[in-house]
This record gives sequence, structure tokens and C-alpha cells, in this order.
Amino acid sequence: MCSISNRGRWIKPFMIGNILKLMQVFKTALIILVALWIFVGVMVSDCRAAGNTSVTAELSRAEINAGEMAELQVHVSGADNARVPQEIQVDGLQIRLTGQSTQVQMVNFKVSSSVVYSYIVMPMSTGKFTIPSIPVRTDSGTMQTAPLSFTVLDSSGVAGQTGSGGGAQVASQPGMPGFAAPRQVPQGNAPPTEGRMAFGEITTAKKKIYAGEMIPVEISYYFDARYPVQILSNPDLASEGLLVERFPDPKQSREDRDGITYNILTFHTLLSAVKPGSIDVPPVKLKTQIQMPGAVPPGFDNPVFQQMLGGQNPFTQTRELMVKTPSLHFDILPLPKEGRPASFAGAVGEFDSDAVVANPKPLPGDPAVLTVKIGGKGNFRAMGPPILTDSDGWRTYPPADKIDSSDALSLEGVKSFDFTLIAQEKKTNSPGSEFSYFDPTTEKYVTLSTKPLPLKASPLTDVVTPTATALSTPVQPSQGVNKSPAVTANSNDGEPLSSFTVRSWKTPVQRAEFLIGSLAMLLAAVSLGGILHFRDLQTRQGSVAEQRRRLTALWASLNSGTLDAASTYDAALEYATLLGVSESDEVILWITARRDVLKYGVGGSVLLGSDERSKLLETLGKISSNKASS
Amino acid sequence: MKRRFYHLLLIIGISFQGALHASIPDGLNSANQSLSAGHPAEALTAYQSVLSSPDFSNVSAPEIWYNRGLAEEKSGDSLAASLSYRRALLLDPTLTPARTHLTSVLTLLGISEATPWSGPLFIRFHPDLLVLGGAVLGWLGALALVVLVFSGRYRKNKRPGLIGLALAALIFGHALSLLGAWADPRRLAGDQAIVSGKGEQTLRDTPADSAQAEGTLAPGSLITILSRNGAWWKISSGPKTGWIPSTAITTLLPPAAGS
Repeated sequence: MCSISNRGRWIKPFMIGNILKLMQVFKTALIILVALWIFVGVMVSDCRAAGNTSVTAELSRAEINAGEMAELQVHVSGADNARVPQEIQVDGLQIRLTGQSTQVQMVNFKVSSSVVYSYIVMPMSTGKFTIPSIPVRTDSGTMQTAPLSFTVLDSSGVAGQTGSGGGAQVASQPGMPGFAAPRQVPQGNAPPTEGRMAFGEITTAKKKIYAGEMIPVEISYYFDARYPVQILSNPDLASEGLLVERFPDPKQSREDRDGITYNILTFHTLLSAVKPGSIDVPPVKLKTQIQMPGAVPPGFDNPVFQQMLGGQNPFTQTRELMVKTPSLHFDILPLPKEGRPASFAGAVGEFDSDAVVANPKPLPGDPAVLTVKIGGKGNFRAMGPPILTDSDGWRTYPPADKIDSSDALSLEGVKSFDFTLIAQEKKTNSPGSEFSYFDPTTEKYVTLSTKPLPLKASPLTDVVTPTATALSTPVQPSQGVNKSPAVTANSNDGEPLSSFTVRSWKTPVQRAEFLIGSLAMLLAAVSLGGILHFRDLQTRQGSVAEQRRRLTALWASLNSGTLDAASTYDAALEYATLLGVSESDEVILWITARRDVLKYGVGGSVLLGSDERSKLLETLGKISSNKASS
Repeated sequence: MKRRFYHLLLIIGISFQGALHASIPDGLNSANQSLSAGHPAEALTAYQSVLSSPDFSNVSAPEIWYNRGLAEEKSGDSLAASLSYRRALLLDPTLTPARTHLTSVLTLLGISEATPWSGPLFIRFHPDLLVLGGAVLGWLGALALVVLVFSGRYRKNKRPGLIGLALAALIFGHALSLLGAWADPRRLAGDQAIVSGKGEQTLRDTPADSAQAEGTLAPGSLITILSRNGAWWKISSGPKTGWIPSTAITTLLPPAAGS
């Protein structure tokens, strides 16, 4: 046991390492094998495909209306380098190659490729056509497609035109609603009658209306819920003398009627008549495409086969169906001429009005905006603007308008008229407004008005500046015209200016001259300051030196003893003063008093005694040393 | 000293005048006569010719732009007229007739924008006057202050009133100069343009035709250029910001001046 276990312990790492290496080798070999197998498979299947070339042609629609187009596709499988004609010559049709695409499929490791050549088919006339065999040249020879029959119907279209078989592709109108197959298409060869399968209804609140009055109209189309439907157009509600608003998105609903469940598509719109009289609205048509049960081919009609299909009929046909509403009659009444206000501008309905000034304090010359809001229910799109009252001294422009609807049809809402006003004189009130409409309920005209609103506006011409006056050419007032400010302003218009001033596109600050000038001024100020300071310093320094020289001279003469008594005291007084001794100082007072005694009394002309001179010099020396130390 | 100061002022004045020199062509008189006689097309050609001459690359005459605006307005081109009036006001915000006509054509274009540079101060005084007058006053105050402070003669007299006056002139003058520089419409004009494409122009959130629309701008609207990316410029107009093809806008400064 011990040896075995020892051997096992020794062998184990060796075996694990080899197994891992082997697995790595197998893995690599397996990848190479799979790749080879796929490559060979592809090559074989390609060869197989090449040996099995086929060409087919298919029309997207076998029947179209004049003005529509169809697509013709030529499928070529098993040939890589097929060549097809660019155009196919058929009288009454224009068939042109538009492009090609390649499809590669791999089913059960069998790869097949096919090239689809697409042609566009444009009918030049109506009738039945046969698209001849299309020659397709391949490496293995020329092959031909089968001829195809093609019908072009009159564009007016007739309800119930039969279309192509179940396999046909239908180009649906983008954005158009439709009902997908809610249920399986019912069995049976006989399709239901059109009247029960799809029909339309049109309802309106009134059939006697006034010219310009907007009335809502509801158009509903009922479709048997068992058949998928594609809507191809909008209802074509149109009649001479009628204005029809655009159709918003229809609403979808469902309803049971006479034991049949119908999907309902309801369109809402607004109608108005432009002139009085009698108007017959023809049936409103809706172009649809309905998928209906088709005929079961022989051999597929046995019960066993139908059971296999779960009771469903896979053989359907698509039919274009024009669904119609009954016709409608309207009596259009004229708007009464009696009592029609001057401010009536075509509004019919029920309205109220309000006004607001957006900027009650515009700058001189700037426009103020008076917004008159007409709210209510009626023909917002057709109504004209209110008229302004008390508009003297204002320059006004035709208003910009905007409708804010509370419903999709714009029957109810608010229409805002923005009047731009430019004051031609100082104004404290905006103009008022007057708006008239015809109420079809009461059959009377109603006039609404808004009062002038407070504001502060003034014309720019009030601010005439010396600069502006100098620049402007003197404009001669127009002769013989009204001298109201507005007219005066207008009369100045259009006269070109004849005196010109040259200005730079750059601001002074952006220009080098200004910066250089500013720097020069700064330099000048600094230099001036420096120069002045230097001079002042020089002056001050000069006076000090002089003072020192004078003090030295005075001191020398005092010490010499050659001066008489009065002169000695004079020199002492000057010395003390130069040292900065205050006039009120005791020393100055003493020197002054003694000098006066000597000068105006006796003894002034003799030499001063040595004791007195020594005392004087000692006093002055103390002062000098005090000053020097301080 | 006084003589040196006057010499300095003279040099500054001459350098400004020299920089603003441009000869007024003789053809303008005949253009004005054509416009007055009711031939705006002829006048417009003459004005365009004058304004595109090399003499008018760095400088221009607001009155010629105004006259050109009149010719364009009379020719029925309100959009071009609005640009000409704006340029006239850019050069001279005190040019009252240009302001009046700009207001009118903007109204016709459906733009209820307050006319620019319409503050009470700026419609009375040209920014150049404020800047240069303020600078002169400020520097005079500065020089006076220097004299009063550094000259021993004046220092001994100790006149605080004079020093205060000089200081006031220094501060007020330079403040006026700064105000004029700030209020000058040309300061921001380099980044301004108008919508000149026919019809409303769509603002995009990225510089691509297929980008999401952020709003529309009416022709004649004043916009601020924020950045440029090839043929697409990012702009703002009031609260709206977005990208617009550069071909749909025209800069407020003429190309020669802008460069």
C-alpha cells in the first residue's frame, strides 16, 4: 500500500501534465478539422449551388393605379456572375434596373446564395401588360424568367378591384393607421359583402350654418374586426365653397353592431363655408387595403389538411377597398349686412378680449408692444386683427399674430395680436382696441373693446444732441404737410446725410495710440513728480548750506570781539533765530531786550565787555549744542 | 513745464487724427443725389463701392452706412438695411436717424428687440468723447495732483481744496473714460452678428444638419458668436443657444474691419 501510494504520488503529476498537453493538441486539431469541414462544406455547397442555377421574377404588386409604381425583382440563385438587362422594353411601361443585393443563407450547413436584381416599374398608361421573359446571362448559359402579367388601373380607382394573390407585398402609406389581424381570417371562399365589411358615417352638429362659421365634423369608418385593414389615405373631404381644416390623428375604438364587431376609425375636423348658398358634400372616401380569405386551391380543401393547419385558411387575398360615407347637405346663410360694425374682420363665434402692454416703459424711440388677446370659440384662423383706437401720436404696424389652441382643431383657444407701437410724441397711455364678431347663436354682431393702458413712451427725436445735430444734414421740413410729430418724423426720413465723420471700428481703448498716449501721460506724471521733488530737494538743500555758512560767519564774528555791543547782540539774535529758537523763547526775549537797551541807550557803540560776551557765547553755544543733539 | 504738457497733448491729438484719416470720395455727393432723386439702386452701388475701398478698412463713416441703409430700405431689402443701420450705430451710437430707421426695419422684420446702445447717456455722448474726454480730464487731474504734492511752493501754501479738486478730476475723468470704454458698442461687436439667411434659421444642438432643432431665429436677429467649428458657429440669442451654419449669418463688423 505504501509503495503504491508512493508511486501514485509520483505518477500523478506526470499524468496530469500529459493529459493537459494532449487536451491542448486535441483542441487545436478539432478547431482545424471544424474549419476544414466548414470550408469543404461551403465549397461543396457552392459547387452544388453552381450546378443548380435558377432565375425567377416577381412583382411587388400585380395591379396598381395610374401614378403609382411597382417593384420587379429578379432572383438569381446558384450563379455569381449573372448579367441582367438595364431596361426592359414594354410599351406603356418604363422598367429600369435600380440595384442589386446578395442574400446568403446557411440551412443545415448548406450554404446557398442568391442575387436579387430590383427594377422599378412605372406605368405610362393604363391597361393590362405582360412583362416578357427577362434574359439572365450566367457562366453556365442564358436563362429566362417566366413572363408576368401586370395591370394598371385608372387612378380614380373602383371599389372592390381585385388585387394580387396572398403573397403580394403591399407598400403601405407611412403614418397611416391600420388594424392588424385581431383574429384569424375567417374560413370560406366567399368574401362578405362590402357594405357589412366596411362602411363610413359622417355627423355634424348643424346643417344650417353661417358663412365663415366653423363647425366640427366627425367622420367614422367601420371595419369588420375579423379582417386586417391597412389605411392608405386620409379621408378626401372636399367640396367647392368649403374650407376643411387638416385632419389630426384619428381615434380608434371598437363597437358591436348587428352582431358584428367593428373596429372604428374616427376622424375629427372643422368645416367652414366661404360663401352663402347650398352645398352638397359628396361621400367622403377612405382608401384602404383589406386582407380577405381567398380561394383554397384544389387538393388543399380536404378536412385532414385543414385540421393540420388548425382550422386557419392560409390562402388570403389583399383587396383595395374605397370606404365611403353618405353624402351631406349644408345650407349656408350669409352674414347679415345690417348692424355690421366697422371693426368686423370676419370673426364668427363667441369671443372675449383682453389687452396687455409687455413693456410699459420703453426707452425713448424703442417700440412698445400692445398685445390684444381674443379668446373663445370660433374661426381663429380666418379672423382679422382688432382695430386700434386712440392711436394718435403712435406709429403702428400690422400686428403679428399667434394662436394658442386648447384643442387639436383650433376651434377653442386664444389668438394674440402683437401691435408694435412707436411713440411719435410723449405718451402716457397705449391705444385702445376694438374687435367685432358675429355670434351665430344669437345671430347678432358683438363689439368688444379694451381701454388704453398706462405706459410711458417718448420718441427718440425728443433727445436731440449736439453731436447728432452736427452730424445730421439739416433736413428741410416737408412743405404743406401736417405738422404733427409723427408726420414731421416721417418727413425727415429718407434724406441722406451729406456731412461725414471718420470713425474707427476699434474702440479708443483697443487702439495703440490710446495706449501709447496713456503710457506717455503716466510717464509724464511720474517724471513731473520726480522733477518737482528733485527741485524741491535741491532748494531745501541749498538753503540749509547757506544757513550753515551764515551761522559759522556769525559765530566767528561773535568770537572775534571786534563788533560793538549793539552789533554783537544783533548777530546773537540772528544766530539764535537761524538755529530755530522761537521768538517767544526767554533767550530771544533777553537778547532782544539787551540789544534795544544798548542800541537806543548808551554803550551800544563800544566793545562789549568780555564777561558779558562770554556769557552770551555760552548761552548761544548751549542752544547750538541742544539743537544739534535734537 | 506748461509748454511741454501742451506739446504732449498736441502729439496725442495728432496721432489720433492721423489714425482716423480717410479721404471722403467725391462720388458720395452724386450717390446722395441719386438717393434723393429716388434711385436707390444707383446710390446703393456707389455706397457699396465707397465702403469696400481700402481707405475704409480700419475706419468708416457712420453717415455713409446710414445712407446705404436708406438705399437698401428703399430698395425693399429690410434685412440688409438693418445691418447697415446697426453698423452706423456701431460707429456712432448718437446717430439718431439710424436708430429710428433701425427700429422701423426691425419691426418690419418682426423683431421686437430694444434698439441697442439706447441708454440716456450713450445717445447723448459718443463713446469716443467719453473715453478721450475722460482720459484728458483724468490725466490733467493727475498732473495737477503731482504738482500740488511734489512742488514745494504749493506744498508750503497747503491748499487742501486744490488737492481735493485735482483728486476728484483724476478719479472722475478716469471713471468716465472707463464708462465710455465699457459702453462702447464696438467693444463687443467682434463677437456679434445678425441672422442674414433668408427665412427663419434653425438652431441645432450640434453642428450638423441632422441634429435636433433647438429653436428658430428670425432674419435680422442680433446674435452673439460663442465659438466656431468650421462651417458651423455656436451662437446665442437671448435664452437660445445652438449651432447655425456660418453662411446664414453676417458679422456685425465688416470682414475687413473684423480681421
